[in-house]
Amino acid sequence: MTKWERRQLRNGLLFASPWIIGFCCFALYPLVMSIYYSFTAFNVVQPPVWIGLANYQELFFEDPLFWTALYNTLYFTVFSVPLALMFSLTLALLLNQKVPFMSVFRTVFFLPSIVPIVASAVLWLWVLNPDSGLINSLLRQWLGIEGPGWMADARWSKPSLILMSMWSVGGAMVIFLAGLADVPQTLYEVAELDGAGPVKKFLHVTLPMLTPTILFNMVMGLIMAFQYFTQVYVMTGGSGTPLDSTMFYALYLYRNSFYYLRMGYASAMAWMLFIVILGATLGVLYSSKKWVFYHGD
Amino acid sequence: MNNFRQTIAKLALPVGIAIAFILVWPDQAGTEAERQALREGRTVITYWDRHSGHEHRARVRLIEEFNAVQDEVFVRTVPIGYNALMEKTLTSTAGGAPPDILSIDGGIMAQLAAHRLFLPLDDFVADVPSLDPELFFPHIWPMVDIDGHVWGIPTTTDTYCLVWNRTAFEEAGLDPDQPPEDWDTFMDYIARLTVRSETGAIERMGFLPWVPWCQIYQWGVLFGGEWFNEELGRSEAGSDPNIIAAYEWHQSFTVDPDADEQLPHAMHPERIESFSRGLGDYMSANNPFYSGRVAMISEGEWQVAFIPRYAPGLDWDVAPLPQPPGVEPLAFGPSIIADVIPATAHHPEAAKKFLRWFYSPRGEGQTSPAGDYNEAIRNIPPRIYEAMEPRFIEHPRFSIFVKQLLERRVVRYPITPITQFISDQARRQRERVTFGRATPEEAAQAFEDSVNRELERIETLIERRRQ
Repeated sequence: MTKWERRQLRNGLLFASPWIIGFCCFALYPLVMSIYYSFTAFNVVQPPVWIGLANYQELFFEDPLFWTALYNTLYFTVFSVPLALMFSLTLALLLNQKVPFMSVFRTVFFLPSIVPIVASAVLWLWVLNPDSGLINSLLRQWLGIEGPGWMADARWSKPSLILMSMWSVGGAMVIFLAGLADVPQTLYEVAELDGAGPVKKFLHVTLPMLTPTILFNMVMGLIMAFQYFTQVYVMTGGSGTPLDSTMFYALYLYRNSFYYLRMGYASAMAWMLFIVILGATLGVLYSSKKWVFYHGD
Repeated sequence: MNNFRQTIAKLALPVGIAIAFILVWPDQAGTEAERQALREGRTVITYWDRHSGHEHRARVRLIEEFNAVQDEVFVRTVPIGYNALMEKTLTSTAGGAPPDILSIDGGIMAQLAAHRLFLPLDDFVADVPSLDPELFFPHIWPMVDIDGHVWGIPTTTDTYCLVWNRTAFEEAGLDPDQPPEDWDTFMDYIARLTVRSETGAIERMGFLPWVPWCQIYQWGVLFGGEWFNEELGRSEAGSDPNIIAAYEWHQSFTVDPDADEQLPHAMHPERIESFSRGLGDYMSANNPFYSGRVAMISEGEWQVAFIPRYAPGLDWDVAPLPQPPGVEPLAFGPSIIADVIPATAHHPEAAKKFLRWFYSPRGEGQTSPAGDYNEAIRNIPPRIYEAMEPRFIEHPRFSIFVKQLLERRVVRYPITPITQFISDQARRQRERVTFGRATPEEAAQAFEDSVNRELERIETLIERRRQ
């Protein structure tokens, strides 16, 4: 390495140092320490006590709520991610038409996703209020039927949250719009020459060309769904009621950390969640070889 | 030009860091009054107030008085509210930036004191005559005197009574001056005050034991049960018939599929949960009691301040809570709010100066700021002599609450390192019972098992750490 190269390296590192320091302090160090803490009993304020695999043993064999929380999270993920993909893709297709004021429509549909999560959770609490909420009031007035208890009913609480998650598909919708703009027009022209109608063009041109975008949105959606927390924390006061039906994994992890002072146990939970997310992501990426098509494939 | 760019590049980082330091330098932070206090050489301490809204403003007025009457310490207050109090306390302490004084719920204090999160105040308390433990209600002091050390100074305490809507009584053909005194009358009133629409939906509930929040712990106590045996240091709730009876009573508010006849106020579990969830915010005019959706509630003495604020037109009254027959008259003194000094506080001595002022009479025959604070927010002062002052004991409604603590045996939450867990478990089991997922016997046993297991785990850990 020449003197000039060394100086370039030094300057480069110097300019990157805020990020490097930030990464080491706020990401790498907590990550490494959380592995250590997962083998300890740690209450945040006193030194951790080494307990070996006891946290993991308790997770798997002695804590039924761990499995409830995992089930609730998987349930939410399995339904909300595909639904959000379909909903955001449908919106993107509708908003990709050449009609007047399209930018206004796009803005309107994107706006909910920039509403602060806490504000939207409070808003949905009102919408889903079983007694005076918007949905049940409409059901009562228009159809003459009594709506479900939504967040008050253990059978409806998770579907309520899945319904609510459709509110914030604006981000995925914008990415789909970008993906749609990237589909070469020549492919549509060729399909039309071959006699393809709108449905066939969508199925055989648009959809295959959008698969990289679908993959990206799916992976991001999976990661977000597995870490679902804020909305349910706000809407249930962190209790996971009714009947633990909204006790999501991240919420239970949080309760162990700060309510029961079990940061070591929560660290073990965090690593289990990491493994689940990693497994799901790798599974999707592996399967993508069979259903994702890139330009030039 | 090249040299100039190089000079700029070299200076960018140190200048940036310097600007950041200037911006966050303590002397530049806070209000003008705080900066003035720093310039005068006063010690500026931070007080985290667990109360917010009008209750916080009452505290601020007293702190301003303290800041004006002496020139050594300046107190700045932060209203952190009661939401996520534990999280805020933990993270600030672990992060090395705790407040100098923290007002905190007694249950959380007991839990954190077990982990030595606070400064012991034994010497301080011994040095302040107005903090003699004998001056307090007998059930109060054990809540701060844990494991041989005093961890906090009780500021306020509470109890619960039956609060009823007089107009709803009149509408139901009941005498608004005659609250239910015995259990059978109470149950009869609940049925008679419950109003259903033609479709069977509940328009007004006579009483619902989990509105405004789940009070299963209190009802277990008022049924004569013992959730946790403090002498044995474990729960025996699973075999306590009174705890089981309390769960059975909660279950009676839901339809029993096996019963030939249903109680008039019984509803399907989902429907009753929907009703309770559909009610309005607690601290607003939409509070279910203020809006007339619930005719009777079990509530604390702060309603004396809350109702004129949120429901000024409400015609209401207060009486002792009825209890099942054969149980001695009891009062539930759930908790306290206490001032504590975090173990890692930066200015503990200055904090003690403020606490000494706050809890001592201002002069011979004068009231203490702590007493005035209780008057402003309408909480019960934990010191008997203050609770007996005319402003509390002669108030027509407030006095009924105070007399509960003076005339009855008071039962409180147990002092354990798992208070939050105990209260969570009692609530979880109540849900299982009312949704038909567990019998009252199973619920009580599940409560006992989970509490004992968790306590054993925590105690083993604490013991191991102390070794």
